[in-house]
Amino acid sequence: MKLLTHNLLSSHVRGVGPRGLPLRLQATEVRINNVEFNPDFVARMIPKVEWEVLLEAADHLRLIEVPKGPIQGYEQDETFLRKMHHVLLEVEVLEGTLQCPESGRMFPISRGIPNMLLSSEETET
Amino acid sequence: MDSNHQSNYKLSKTEKKFLRKQVKARHTLLRHEGIETVSYATQILVVANGGLGNGVSRNQLFPVLEKFGQVDALLMPPNKPYSFVRYKTIEESKKAYVTLNGKEIVDDLGQKIILYFNFVEKAQWKELGLQALPPGLMVVEEIISSEDEKMLLESVNWTEDKDNQNFQKSLKHRRVKHFGYEFHYENNNVDKDKPLPGGLPDICDNILEKWLKEGFIRYKPDQLTVNQYEPGHGIPAHIDTHSAFEDEIVSLSLGSEIVMDFKHPDGVTVPVLLPRRSLLVMTGESRYLWTHGITPRKFDTVQASKNRKSGIITSDVGDLTLNKRGVRTSFTFRKVRQTPCHCSYPLVCDSQMKEPPPSFPESDKEASQLEQEYVHRVYEEIAGHFSSTRHTPWPHIVEFLKALPSGSLVADIGCGNGKYLGINKELYMIGCDRSQNLVDICRERQFQAFVCDALAVPIRSGACDACISIAVIHHFATAERRMAALQELVRLLRPGGKALIYVWAMEQEYKKKKSKYLRNRIGQVKNEEILDDASVQELLVEQMPDVGNQDSASSAPSISDSQNSRKVTNSKLPIHTNRTSFHSQDLLVPWHLKGNPSKDKPVEPFDPIGSHGPSPVFHRYYHVFCEGELEAACQTLSNVSILQSYYDQGNWCVILQKV
Repeated sequence: MKLLTHNLLSSHVRGVGPRGLPLRLQATEVRINNVEFNPDFVARMIPKVEWEVLLEAADHLRLIEVPKGPIQGYEQDETFLRKMHHVLLEVEVLEGTLQCPESGRMFPISRGIPNMLLSSEETET
Repeated sequence: MDSNHQSNYKLSKTEKKFLRKQVKARHTLLRHEGIETVSYATQILVVANGGLGNGVSRNQLFPVLEKFGQVDALLMPPNKPYSFVRYKTIEESKKAYVTLNGKEIVDDLGQKIILYFNFVEKAQWKELGLQALPPGLMVVEEIISSEDEKMLLESVNWTEDKDNQNFQKSLKHRRVKHFGYEFHYENNNVDKDKPLPGGLPDICDNILEKWLKEGFIRYKPDQLTVNQYEPGHGIPAHIDTHSAFEDEIVSLSLGSEIVMDFKHPDGVTVPVLLPRRSLLVMTGESRYLWTHGITPRKFDTVQASKNRKSGIITSDVGDLTLNKRGVRTSFTFRKVRQTPCHCSYPLVCDSQMKEPPPSFPESDKEASQLEQEYVHRVYEEIAGHFSSTRHTPWPHIVEFLKALPSGSLVADIGCGNGKYLGINKELYMIGCDRSQNLVDICRERQFQAFVCDALAVPIRSGACDACISIAVIHHFATAERRMAALQELVRLLRPGGKALIYVWAMEQEYKKKKSKYLRNRIGQVKNEEILDDASVQELLVEQMPDVGNQDSASSAPSISDSQNSRKVTNSKLPIHTNRTSFHSQDLLVPWHLKGNPSKDKPVEPFDPIGSHGPSPVFHRYYHVFCEGELEAACQTLSNVSILQSYYDQGNWCVILQKV
């Protein structure tokens, strides 16, 4: 699971706060991939990123050199884009957990795949 | 002069014909049996048309052969239309060859047979391996005296049957009589609540007590079936229903011996001779797992030696001959089972395999359970095979994805094997599916995917520029759940975002063109099948959706589908016949799992399907959509507008936009 993917996820546990609560990420196994750098592509991602979620996740993974937010003229700033490219697309969590911050419910990440299935009790309205 | 001339002419014509036939026999032996004949004299002759397989017995052939010299051996392979005879000297075999070639003999049925002889270097045929009796099987010989045999045979009053039908049937079919409990052939079971008055005949009591005391049987039976087999009668291979009877099943053979075939699901067949007055005891594996049956024929291949024992028919082909059948009556004693069967062979056990037929769900909970059993569980089992049949992306969907702006965030809800996740490299696509096994396949392909339910997608609202839902929503069992799935899709979209939805359509023929799904069927769909259901006929005018790739190359031709689509009665879900038009909107569609192709054995025409272990069939639940149904559902959503609505190869499709 890449960090960009994690950025899109949110807790769907019923009865828990507003939809959109980010999931707390913990990782026991992380892999860094080499992904072809496409500056336009990365630039288009920037507006869609939830920065706080990204920063917290990066922090849990002890990543360094993570920009704190979009900077002025980021679309042309290759250094910035490269850093974002790395954080968003090259860091892959293979083993770990995602936790709903309110209910505490944990979801496993195994072989890079988060399993977000809720039990029947949890989905009952 | 003339007559002489004529007779000379006739002789050479006959001679020519004979030579032709001899050469033909030679070729047949070589081509089909790998038997190489030679043109020089040897000690061994192959006798074409003189075999157990074509009704010639050792007792007939041997006397004919021994006239020409000392026969060292006469080898008669079972079921083959030839034999080998080895003479002590070449001289003797030459004499036989010259004299016997073209000789006419008469077989046991009184038919004329012409023998063709050829020299061979060695007598070669397929060797049969040594076989053991099926585990749990025992044959006890001479368990009753001749007097008792006579008494038992006479005690059966066949003319008591007032039912004319039975009497008529007895000519073609074996005769049966039941005691204790009636055995019903429609479901191969007994009605445990309706025992027959009178129980077992009194004369059986003594015999059964004796067997119990002497340890031949362990339990006192309470059901008896008497079968009478005329020569030519048989019984198809079967396993006695697990839930009907306890472990021990015993069968007493009277009047004539017979060969009974036992078959293991792996394909091993063991022929077992049941002599007169013997008791066949079937327990354990031989009762629960092996099928037993009697081939309908007038002769059995048995051992020729005088002291013929029961048990397996030998593989020693030097000792086989044909045995003409007589009238055999069997007394099969069984104990009716009062509790479900818990044997170690669940795959052939009706108690353990029993699941109530699914019906139309009446609540959300029932719907969820139905989906669990007939969607989720099935996809987990068939994931690999399913994925292998889902390789070609559909053009309109590719078009949709390629038209999206570069850098779009796109979610594929119900992504299956990830077929669409890599179509457009300019997009960031994430997929999710309910099936872990399918998501694993996405992962192998290096896609971003996770496991979740389409009704509770863990993606933040408004995060997606686009979503696709291809062949997913038709797996939800109630209209409410289908709506909820649509709502989830819309929730994920940002304002202005687009969603593409494909569902299987009821109508499989559109604009007079049959869908790929129907077209791929072997043999044509007859109009009569469709015209029965008036409501379907209406829809036919619209045309049937083409389910195209949904089942392409996946299901076996419908010839092998033993289930036909039934009418929906008592709200039971009908089972669909693949590659035919739909007769109901809610139904179960079979999936024939194909695994390792080398394991697939060809089905012999007259064997019941069970004895070869068929490929497993899974049923998937579908709600197929009528024209306009998907559109209408989307229209009820307040915050969407429908951009496009169309029909594509058996599917109803909608592109909507969040306002």
